[in-house]
Amino acid sequence: MKLLSAPCLVLALAGAAFAADAAGDFTERHDTIYNSLTIEKRGPIVEMRARARGSEALESAIDTRDPMLPIVHYIKTVYGALFIHPEPKRMLMVGLGGAGFHHLFTAAFPDTLLHTIELDPKVLELTGQHMGFKPGPKTPVTIMDGRMFIKRNREQWDWLMLDAYRGGFVPPHLKTEEFYRECAARLTDRGIFISNLHATTELYYSDLKTIQAVFPQIVIFETAGRGNVIVVGVKYRDPIITDPAKWADPDSLMKPVFQGRVDLKLVRAEHSRLPLNRMRAGKILTDDFAPVEFLDALKANNADEPRAKK
Amino acid sequence: MTLFAFYLAVVVLGILSMGFQMLGSRLLSPHFGSAIDVWACLISTFLAAFSIGSMLGGWISNLAPHARRRGQWACAVAAVAALALTALWGRALVSAIEIGVASSGLAVLLSCVALFFVPVTALSTFSPQCVQFLAARGMPPGKASGLVYGVSTLGNIAGVMLTTFVLISHFRVSTLLYLWLAVAVVCLAALVWLLRPLSTAP
Repeated sequence: MKLLSAPCLVLALAGAAFAADAAGDFTERHDTIYNSLTIEKRGPIVEMRARARGSEALESAIDTRDPMLPIVHYIKTVYGALFIHPEPKRMLMVGLGGAGFHHLFTAAFPDTLLHTIELDPKVLELTGQHMGFKPGPKTPVTIMDGRMFIKRNREQWDWLMLDAYRGGFVPPHLKTEEFYRECAARLTDRGIFISNLHATTELYYSDLKTIQAVFPQIVIFETAGRGNVIVVGVKYRDPIITDPAKWADPDSLMKPVFQGRVDLKLVRAEHSRLPLNRMRAGKILTDDFAPVEFLDALKANNADEPRAKK
Repeated sequence: MTLFAFYLAVVVLGILSMGFQMLGSRLLSPHFGSAIDVWACLISTFLAAFSIGSMLGGWISNLAPHARRRGQWACAVAAVAALALTALWGRALVSAIEIGVASSGLAVLLSCVALFFVPVTALSTFSPQCVQFLAARGMPPGKASGLVYGVSTLGNIAGVMLTTFVLISHFRVSTLLYLWLAVAVVCLAALVWLLRPLSTAP
């Protein structure tokens, strides 16, 4: 067995690997205490991916020519939340990722506070280095477990979004009824809860059922062909939010910076019916019973569920 | 028959110890998450309990027969009482620690020690006494030690796999904590009976 050379040893100990070419493209690998991350630059696109389960899940991506352009498709779908709450003044986001959401949102809503909670300090560091995001007075970042922050911080939010994936996997404690109740308690009266779900496994139906157990009204937007579903929930029963006919016209919600980046007509078309048949068989996940990993390992069987878009 | 019951009790002891660690992670998760820092505290607490329990058990196994019996009963009662505390008030205790302790790292460690240290230490005291049980029946100490720790470790593996892949996916954590308590009562009663002094043993 050969001994590692000193520079190799230093790199290995640092937990990072780096490869670059003359065009400025590079691939970096970082093993943090919470994640195994890959940062890859190919031309103008910089991606942050998390390695898990033998593959890499795309966490975030930006186009360095236009950082506001959403590269990861579900980021556009998140703006479906505007149909339910069009003027967020205070937003809490659990999960920074590569800040793929932040660039456009802060440009569209420059006066809005966007407070982000991120567990992994290395993610914040890498996002600053490669994805062009630095925390500011309107965009603070707190390094903490998302649930712990929500439990300890008593502020109220207009939008509260969960996007805390770790290699395509969400920790079980961010999936339970009790946690969603803690989230609901931090919303303003007309505030909305937003979560990015994966519709590819049986966990999806339990996710929806659990969210519905807490939020009396929920609507979903399916990112076409990507397996992502953005669910929006509110804690009030009136007014009705589930009837798209009562939503504002997409043109009235458009912001100048959305031009060429987000088309709210297309986002509205992503609104879908809840898969009620499959949800009936789902389990309400609680702090006491949350077999998240097991449900997430079962491929979703959508064969008997009508998924026609409205 | 006695030896079969003995080895079965050693396996169950192993299942109880390491299966409890997996249950512990689910008990802590709603309060502190399930990231590597939580696991570091959890594993360290269990290893500390194994270490101190083994030393304490070794000391008990060397006591005079009457004192040894008292030691065995004390450890069995401590294990059952601590498991009962975890099953009945575990969540409330972790909640109180989470709210009362500002530093999250310290809160995780305190929760681990409060909930898991005593029961696992008490359970671990029985392994050296099991070695003594075999050695007293003529088995060379090295062989007895290897056999007990080998069989117990098989129980550990069974505990981890069974708890992770079968029990947690089908039952509530609170239900499983009561199951642990019930199994511990039976297992420890059997061990205390089996480990009685040789003059009264079959």
